[in-house]
Amino acid sequence: MTLQDHITRRFSEANRYQFGLLAILFVSLSTLPLWAPITGFGGLIYPLALANIWAIFAMGWDIISGYTGYISFGHSALSGAAAYATAMLATHLELPLAATFPLSVVAALIVGMLFALPSLRLRGPYFSLLTLVGALLFYRLLFVFNEYTGGELGMSVEAITYDTTVLYYYTFVPMVFIALGLLYVSRSNVGVVLVAIRENEPAVESAGIDTTKFKLWAFTLSAVTMGVGGVMLAHFYGSVDPTTMVILDRSIEMIVMAVIGGMSSILGPIGGAYVFILLRDTILPGTLGLGGTQRWFALWAVALGLIVFAREGVFRKLWHGLGEQGSENESETE
Amino acid sequence: MVDLLSILITGAMVSAVYALIAIGFTMIFGVGGVLNLAHGGLLMIGAYVFLAATSRIPPVVAFVASVGVAAVVSYAMYLGLIRYIEKDVVITFLATLLIALLFQELVTMTFSAQPRSLATLVPGTVQIAGTRIRYNQIFGFVVSWVAIGALWYYVTRTGSGRAILATSMSERGAMLTGVDISRVRAETWLIAGALAGVGGVFLGSLQTTSPFMWLDPLALAFIIVVIGGVGSIKGSIVGAYLIGYLETLTVSLAGNGVRGVFALVVVALIILFRPQGLYGREFIE
Repeated sequence: MTLQDHITRRFSEANRYQFGLLAILFVSLSTLPLWAPITGFGGLIYPLALANIWAIFAMGWDIISGYTGYISFGHSALSGAAAYATAMLATHLELPLAATFPLSVVAALIVGMLFALPSLRLRGPYFSLLTLVGALLFYRLLFVFNEYTGGELGMSVEAITYDTTVLYYYTFVPMVFIALGLLYVSRSNVGVVLVAIRENEPAVESAGIDTTKFKLWAFTLSAVTMGVGGVMLAHFYGSVDPTTMVILDRSIEMIVMAVIGGMSSILGPIGGAYVFILLRDTILPGTLGLGGTQRWFALWAVALGLIVFAREGVFRKLWHGLGEQGSENESETE
Repeated sequence: MVDLLSILITGAMVSAVYALIAIGFTMIFGVGGVLNLAHGGLLMIGAYVFLAATSRIPPVVAFVASVGVAAVVSYAMYLGLIRYIEKDVVITFLATLLIALLFQELVTMTFSAQPRSLATLVPGTVQIAGTRIRYNQIFGFVVSWVAIGALWYYVTRTGSGRAILATSMSERGAMLTGVDISRVRAETWLIAGALAGVGGVFLGSLQTTSPFMWLDPLALAFIIVVIGGVGSIKGSIVGAYLIGYLETLTVSLAGNGVRGVFALVVVALIILFRPQGLYGREFIE
């Protein structure tokens, strides 16, 4: 059995074109710090290091919202909880990373459960709006308890490193492992049940499957992912504050990434995160020279256009395009 | 006692405006099944059109103009985009949120991010039972109730209004009786936009006018709608008064910093124990 067979059997029924695309992307991204400075793309290392963290968020959102159709508008509260837990434990209790990291993931999990337990009784827009309210509430509380959270200015955290190459691998490697883990779950029977919940929850229930249990597991997985990402983001910037971590816009960004990449595909949201972060931090401000407000206006306008005209997701379209390509060629050779 | 009275009066004023905002929001959901997260953005447009217009024309004319602009923008949003995507709930949800953000950036570009104060429609104050009240507050209260009354008359007593009510009750039923659903939906967006325009001008003059003013009223509208029950005008009014008083009470007891926090907690509790709201129906996909 070749490596390709092994991987495709495990994760999907990819043909050689799709597999080739994945392989090329993986190799070029995993060697980015080696070739980027030589070819003049050195400026991409830092934004892509950040994009890796956002890819984690987008995947974390996708495993609950993309798969089950329970659209959360409050996921920035989960990553924000982990980031703030890291900052508060490090500042007030002076704990080392070995302690703050697991505790912060637990913090994200707790907030996630606070969201999930009441929310999962509700369907459709009610669920979405309750998560939106949850994120707003979390944002407000940061200001109410400003003596612990540092209010608007936030708090400082130890930065991981100032070497962009090291920084890149610090974000890239966990991102890959999380992607593999979530892909494994989503391609297993669990993923099938989650998608079935999205399509027709009463039918799944009448088949004797406890949907609440599956939704809770998906939420747990999502919250842990968000927690890991939140800790990474805190150490990436070396600071946490309400605007970069928790504000509603951050939740919207995660959703936009997942949707433009292609919901319920795990890999799509990674692509969405890369496109979005490059657009936000490199292409719009750098290449097109748009500043401040104009940049955000252009960004949201592009996002709206992509969401309306490529509802399935840009990367899903690409993927299926390659899939059709493969099947045509195969039928020719037969 | 004076404090309590003051809370009662200020609460009554602001709650009327909240009711107006929530009714527009719930109407669109009731009729089209669309949660319009750009509703707060329409409020903001109303407030900023008023701000821009009052430098040239008298406030009352500017008020009419801002209501008109908000209504037209809402109508155009529906005809230009929403009607093509409304079948896909997630996409519509996200699209309206992005539209709200686009409005926010547009307003920031044109007027800067600084909070502005609006010209008062009716200047002056009056003492009622020891509480100083601005005429503007009273005017907002009266106009909101007149608008609510007019809307109530429209949807219960006139043919085209009853078509809206019928559509929100049962789309299939309405269709069978010859109601043109797409026309009803467009009309609902027009009305909701106009209500948002009225609400925006008053909210902008009673609280703040800034590019970020869309979010809190949006959250409020949602909270009120959840409390009152989706699609119910009566529920929206009751919910608005509940939240309006709760907020006024919180602000006067604990300061402006916690504005809204208790309202959010209350809605979380209500949604837990009575998901269908006080007068409404549960959302069923």
